[in-house]
Amino acid sequence: MSNIVKISALSRKVFWLCAVIFTVLLIIAPVFLLFKYSISDASSINTGGSPVPLWPYNPTFRNFLYLFSDNQFYGVVINSLLIAFFTVIVSLLIGVPASYVLGRYQIPLRKPLLVGLISVRLFPDIASVIPVAEFFITIEAHNTYWGVVLAHTLLALPYVIFIGTSAFEPIPRDLEHQAMVMGANRFQIFLKILFPLAIPGLTAAAIYTFLLSWDEFIFAYFLLGLGRISTLTLYLKQKLAYAPPQNLLATISVCLSFPVIIFSLLLQKHMSAGITSGAVK
Amino acid sequence: MAEVVLKNIGKKFDDHQVINNLNLLIGDGEFVTLLGPSGCGKTTLLRMIAGLETVDNGDLIVGGKRYNDIPPRERRIAMVFQSYALFPHMTVRANILFGLKIQKVSPTRMQEKLEWVIAMLGLQDLEDRLPKEISGGQRQRVALARALVLDPDVLLLDEPLSNLDAALREMAMEELKRIHRQVGKTIIYVTHNQVEAMTMSERIALLSGGELEQYDEPRYVYDRPETMFSAQFIGSPAINFIDGVIAQKENQIGIDSRIGFLLLDKERFGRAGEFTGRKVKVGIRPQNISYLEHRAARRYSDTSLTITVELIESLGDRSLIVGKVSDEITVRFLITREADIALDQEVRIFIDGRRLHLFDPRTQKNIFAARRKTSGE
Repeated sequence: MSNIVKISALSRKVFWLCAVIFTVLLIIAPVFLLFKYSISDASSINTGGSPVPLWPYNPTFRNFLYLFSDNQFYGVVINSLLIAFFTVIVSLLIGVPASYVLGRYQIPLRKPLLVGLISVRLFPDIASVIPVAEFFITIEAHNTYWGVVLAHTLLALPYVIFIGTSAFEPIPRDLEHQAMVMGANRFQIFLKILFPLAIPGLTAAAIYTFLLSWDEFIFAYFLLGLGRISTLTLYLKQKLAYAPPQNLLATISVCLSFPVIIFSLLLQKHMSAGITSGAVK
Repeated sequence: MAEVVLKNIGKKFDDHQVINNLNLLIGDGEFVTLLGPSGCGKTTLLRMIAGLETVDNGDLIVGGKRYNDIPPRERRIAMVFQSYALFPHMTVRANILFGLKIQKVSPTRMQEKLEWVIAMLGLQDLEDRLPKEISGGQRQRVALARALVLDPDVLLLDEPLSNLDAALREMAMEELKRIHRQVGKTIIYVTHNQVEAMTMSERIALLSGGELEQYDEPRYVYDRPETMFSAQFIGSPAINFIDGVIAQKENQIGIDSRIGFLLLDKERFGRAGEFTGRKVKVGIRPQNISYLEHRAARRYSDTSLTITVELIESLGDRSLIVGKVSDEITVRFLITREADIALDQEVRIFIDGRRLHLFDPRTQKNIFAARRKTSGE
């Protein structure tokens, strides 16, 4: 009897271990391949029939050096950063007050509003980009920074409000009442109690928004084309058109995904629960 | 002056009447406990005084000012929540100074106040800690400090000790009493724990179903329960209730009941003769029944009774005995630990004729408790 228990416990452990290893491989493998190609020399890619090696014959950072010497590259990185930064700002400016209300007040139609917000994002980008682009062209928002910022805000806002709402919602009502009894008005309560306690959740929303804008391609492509202003994703597309060596594309991709990886790690740290522990009881 | 006056206060949640036509006068500097089982409306009443709930009917007057429509932040009232509601992202110092900062008190005055309250509550060296880094008892004291530092007219406490363990609770009760003496504030304290109410308060307002059952000093609530609810809720172990009729027998006045003829003390129940023939519910506290071995001197008004021991429940220093009088009727009483009683033993007990409580079975009101004049009327 106990043997069977032991065996099944052991087999369960083995199963979970395999599952974890598989998952890690699934995540790590593409990143590894990308990185490998970005430091590959030409002979490691064009092997002339023999299998591509797991590690380049002569690892080199030449591609990075080439990229970093390209003035256009710096331009697009700064563009992408600026657009992402202002998308975060605008999204939070609109999203935080909205989430405060949705998270703290029992307003009519609260549930349908939240469901409606998130279902907006169920439309594929490629379907919504046409009317948006057309509208932006009529208001002459195409080929401008603020046009892209606005478009990205459009994409990010449902997430910001959704994450923000769940950041404001669980804050104990007692804290608000306590502050009220102590003489604080609604604005002071928001500023000094609710907002600081919602910061971890709002940080997550901000990082998410930043990443969404940073690697967004479709809206940027339709609004900016390959015109005056270019972003990193458009730069990648442009380079692709000239059929450059794979290792250069991989290098651009590594640069594109670098902030994604960094921020994802940060995000995990901020997602940790227990920030309100010690508030009540 | 911060007298709190509740006049015909009423509160409804949807169709449910939570507080019904309640009148209460709490004197300046008085420590009053709102006591009652859960759902009796005591916390709702407290939140109405704080301004967190609207007052549907009647007048709420604090310090001579009608408070009904004054928002919470303009009331000179502080409150300690059951959860303490410490701001988790602020240090102990920031928590205590929150209210003063909002009132834009000068930094020097703020420092003075902080030092005063920290000394009073023994919070030295905790100023820079976060709420999650201090113990439950310390959190309770910080919550209290945060309320006291505002120098309120009235201090509201909502079950502030319910999250503490027994030893800490006893200490906190002593401390609360000391603080009340020291600051002399009007304190309204909500609890469902009769020990806390009995120990600390000057007066107890006993609530049930949104109505005031009794409003009196703790000893009077215990000695002269005005209603059956009062008799049942206050006192532990629970009071015995027995049906009977007031009657006269051999020139003695007493109650003809299913456990026999219970004598009434002439001094205490002088007017009992006028009520002959009236149906009553007799309340007998377990503390007022004694066991033969304990008692050398007996009074004329003691009724003796023979019971069979059915259950012995140890309470530590004493034991609770459940004794069978007949097949359907049992009485509960207390004996000291030394008394040697065994199960199924037949013992004689004595019921103190001075300490019976007679209630009208219909109105559930005490027939003899001359209602003490309370300012709650």
